[in-house]
Amino acid sequence: MSVLHRNNVRITGSGDRPVIFAHGFGCDQNMWRLVHPAFEPRFKVVLFDHVGAGRSDLTAYRSDKYASLSGYAEDLIEIARELELRDVIFVGHSVSAMIGVLASIRAPDVFESMVLVGPSPCYINDGDYVGGFTETEIEELLDSLADNYMGWSAAMAPAIMGNPDRPELAEELTNSFCRTDPDIAKEFARVTFTSDNRADLPKVGARSLILQCRDDVIASEQVGRYVHDRLPQSQMTILNATGHCPNLSAPKEVISAIDGFV
Amino acid sequence: MAMTPVENLEDLYENAPCGYLSLAPDGRIVKANATFSAWIGFSQHELCEKRLHDLLNVAGRIFFETHFAPLLRMQGFFNEVALDFVTNDGSKIPVLANAMERRDDEGGLLFTRITISKAADRRRYERELVDARAAAEAAKRELQALNASLETRIQHAVEERFRMEESLMREREMSELREQFIAILGHDLRNPLASFGGALRMLRRERLTPQGERLLDLLQGSILRMAGLIDNVLDFARGRLGGGIGLNIKSEPLQPVLEQVVGELRAASPDANIEADFAISKPVPCDHVRVGQLASNLLGNALTHGDRNQAIRLQAITEQDEFVLWVGNKGKPIPQIAMKRLFQPFVRGGASGQGLGLGLHIASEIAKAHGGTLTAESSNVETRFTFRMPLARARDEVRTVSQRSR
Repeated sequence: MSVLHRNNVRITGSGDRPVIFAHGFGCDQNMWRLVHPAFEPRFKVVLFDHVGAGRSDLTAYRSDKYASLSGYAEDLIEIARELELRDVIFVGHSVSAMIGVLASIRAPDVFESMVLVGPSPCYINDGDYVGGFTETEIEELLDSLADNYMGWSAAMAPAIMGNPDRPELAEELTNSFCRTDPDIAKEFARVTFTSDNRADLPKVGARSLILQCRDDVIASEQVGRYVHDRLPQSQMTILNATGHCPNLSAPKEVISAIDGFV
Repeated sequence: MAMTPVENLEDLYENAPCGYLSLAPDGRIVKANATFSAWIGFSQHELCEKRLHDLLNVAGRIFFETHFAPLLRMQGFFNEVALDFVTNDGSKIPVLANAMERRDDEGGLLFTRITISKAADRRRYERELVDARAAAEAAKRELQALNASLETRIQHAVEERFRMEESLMREREMSELREQFIAILGHDLRNPLASFGGALRMLRRERLTPQGERLLDLLQGSILRMAGLIDNVLDFARGRLGGGIGLNIKSEPLQPVLEQVVGELRAASPDANIEADFAISKPVPCDHVRVGQLASNLLGNALTHGDRNQAIRLQAITEQDEFVLWVGNKGKPIPQIAMKRLFQPFVRGGASGQGLGLGLHIASEIAKAHGGTLTAESSNVETRFTFRMPLARARDEVRTVSQRSR
């Protein structure tokens, strides 16, 4: 089975230097739609969907492989190897920031620099460490998935499809959301919010940029600083954007921060 | 006539049957209506110091950030999103929310407007649907497991059935083979013997020297003994191979049969003295050939082991409810140790090298088949074998034995 098909890999751009954009929990490569076009003139832009998300091959999903972030990191390395990419600039949002961290430790030859958007090495509070959530709160989140999928995944689709002004967008989203298998989403949520990769941070050799939003309820500034303190060659930029998805809410700010870094 | 009331837009906003929230681009609440304020338990003024996040539970916050906010940014609206608001007193209000972005002429985000409907019943219904689906899937898995186990059990049962049929077939084949073997054995051994007998009878008509006559007597005795041996071997084979000793019960007089047996043995052993005494006053329902064979075996045994110079006695009488046949001979008593194994097959008495040691065994089996007993007493005075067979009970038991042995 082709790795490129499995992860719905799309390659655009006219440059030589590769940039890989990786989406986080909840969406797919559309997350980068307002950001990646800015890099096309100067870079080779690689977009993909994690297995289980978007238009990836759902039949490739295996609960045992994807029960830890390493499974997703393996896929990322395979994509880079398949495309024979070197000196990659990796841009990972949310949970994909940690997937990129794991991949760069395993394949240091592939990754030259990392841009981590809203990273968190551990979402659950642990002693002095403040991840932002208690274990109980995370369990509550995982339990509530069933309710939300009934009210959201199923009910949303017809509404989006009925949007006549932007049919291409509607179709993309509809497909993406309709294809989110609730069972896979539940497992992805579990691995995302219960992982603890704090010990991996000091092992990263690539230089990295942390993009931190203000008022991010998922990955707080405090968590961003923690990552910055432990990543050996890292810089941190606080964006004016609020929320967890600056790639959508403040694409221009994100683009210029990445530009300044590379 | 009543005046048609005029709708007040301010009042429509404040007291609409749904909640209204307007958010600034950074997520702060900038306006909320009275309906929502009443539901959530915070004053409108208090609400304007909060962000939407502050009113959601943790799961809702994460979902809003990872799913609904991106959706809103991408398409400018979302509809029918399920959320849980947390009220001032900590209880939960399940709601469905619709949202729409309000942008300025240049596309800059001004507000996000959200309408909120209570959805407790709908959520309960959805929950029930999810539970029902989970139950259905559990039932399906259970059914699949049951099917699988049924299939295994059926397969085992079929295999077991095959094994049984196979072993039944083998058993049947064995049984047929046994019958064939016994039939062939009987036929092949008896036919030449019948030829001997026929030739002997023809020779009797010739004029012979006294020496020739004596030789013929010897020959006739040998033929008789040989026929007895063959009968015993066949009966033993049947018994051992599972066929059992079959009985053909008749109520015709038994005495002539016994007289013939005595006559044959007298003829075969002219120098022996056999005294026979019959007092059969009632019908004896038995297999005449078998009882004849029993008598012949006992007499043959007496002739072989007894003192030839003294009489061998046979008596057959009917008593109150028993038929008794005994054969006695003089001579050395049977050693005490041999008495125990007397009726076991292939036990051969003393010095004489004759016979297979089947005669007494077969006689004993015939006695048993008739519901009777064969016992032995041996002393310096006499060795006596006694066959006792109940007359009254005989019918039933004999039939039962006979059926069982078929």
